[in-house]
Amino acid sequence: MREVFLAGIGLASVLGDDMPAALAALQRGGVPPTPVAVAHGVRWPVYKLAAREGDWAGRVRHTARHVVAQTGDWGMRTAPLFVASSSLDIGGMEHAPQAQRLGGDLQDFAEIVARALDWQGPVFTVSTACTAALNAVLAAADLVRDGDAAEALVIGAEMDNRFTVAGFGAMQLLAPDSAQPFGAQRKGLVLGEAVAALRLRCEPARWQVMGGSNVVDGRNPSGTEASAVRAMCREALARSGLQPGDIDLIKVQAAGSPVNDAIEAEALKQVFGALPPLVSLKSVIGHTLGAAGAAELALLIGCIEGGVWPVRDYPLDASLGIALSEQAPRTLRHMLLNVVGFGGGHASLVVKDCAA
Amino acid sequence: MTRYTASGWRTAAHFVADPLPAAWRDDLAQRLGRRPRRVGLWTELAMWGARSCVDAAGEAALPAGARIRVASLRGAWDATHAGLAQLDAGLPMPFTFMQSQPALMLAEVGRCLEWQGDASFMLCRDPQRLLQLATRGAARDGLLFGVVEEARDGAPARSEWWRLVPA
Repeated sequence: MREVFLAGIGLASVLGDDMPAALAALQRGGVPPTPVAVAHGVRWPVYKLAAREGDWAGRVRHTARHVVAQTGDWGMRTAPLFVASSSLDIGGMEHAPQAQRLGGDLQDFAEIVARALDWQGPVFTVSTACTAALNAVLAAADLVRDGDAAEALVIGAEMDNRFTVAGFGAMQLLAPDSAQPFGAQRKGLVLGEAVAALRLRCEPARWQVMGGSNVVDGRNPSGTEASAVRAMCREALARSGLQPGDIDLIKVQAAGSPVNDAIEAEALKQVFGALPPLVSLKSVIGHTLGAAGAAELALLIGCIEGGVWPVRDYPLDASLGIALSEQAPRTLRHMLLNVVGFGGGHASLVVKDCAA
Repeated sequence: MTRYTASGWRTAAHFVADPLPAAWRDDLAQRLGRRPRRVGLWTELAMWGARSCVDAAGEAALPAGARIRVASLRGAWDATHAGLAQLDAGLPMPFTFMQSQPALMLAEVGRCLEWQGDASFMLCRDPQRLLQLATRGAARDGLLFGVVEEARDGAPARSEWWRLVPA
């Protein structure tokens, strides 16, 4: 069994089209969400990618090329490609006449991305809502670990579309103004657009992909299940050969949901006892759904390497008994990334800083 | 019927209904002891096939360490099409949106099996590659692998499942 490392990251989000732009935007205090109209008189804030000319598919192609270029030179591009998304190409369908909608299939979006990159390797779609990108990382890591591939590319992508915003709005899951993870006045989540790329490789690099987990619990399809949070953390730790005390930082799910944030906080305490430092990124890029696992991992690594940390500008809910760290931990060797989502999906990943 | 082979694995059960029996929904309700509520046709097809395959394998329950992998080219086509029409009309409906999402199908499949574990919706043009991917890193409890399609453009509905375990 080979070890798996993160050899390159790329990110386009509301904060900018690449990591230097994102870190600069964070230092300026971030970028606010933009209201998106989904029906007459109904608008929801969304952390949007920078506006760009051209049709929807053209914007996908441009953004994918730009983000993957940030992960380095790929040569022949024969590695496995995983495209993780919740909305896939629904944004393009919105602009098509009704009779021409959904004429293709669910693999079309991944193939738009693959053609844009002139990708020659096998192409996989992973669509498990908010856990999609983390599940793609786990699958890609399996291939590299087992020697089926020397490297693999994971792309998490949520592009502009009103369908998802309207759907989450109809389910009464959205906040009307801003995302406040673990916040005293949290009212729901704020969606975000993002495209992120993670390059996994068997050759050593600073960041090692350790063990992970994916736990689906259907009892509460739109919410967090405490037993599943505990299970995902414990399984990810066990697969990494670690104990709770070995984790130096947890990137929490915390999307700003009044109920789910509280369930997550309580379940984390049950696993970890005294909690390690926590960080949340959804107040700066929103909940990027199927891209979240890749976008938040890329941004977190960018923040650690760049010496920049997200600033919280709202009060926390004291009743939760948790804190969000205001700077990177002084000692940081193992971090746990948690993503919980729609459909009862709960996924975790342990990443190790080999330079620490 | 599609033939899938994975080196080092054996098929403990293979469930396929061709053609789909007229009373498949009644059969699902009987197996579950209830009629599914607020789920779409695609999800019901998945639930029925998954449950039937586990029953065919003679297992009282899918082991906690098993994986579920589901593939579909068209997914919840009817619900997605209806959801887009609702969006056009300015009347997005929560249950239509939920029914369009593969993740909700996974949740309901897990729920109908009374199972909590590693379930994913994954797709590749080459089914053999998809199966190979599904087996990589899988535990000894094995894999429940399904292909589920609504009827569309003359092609019949399909819910075909394999219960695969290490040989």
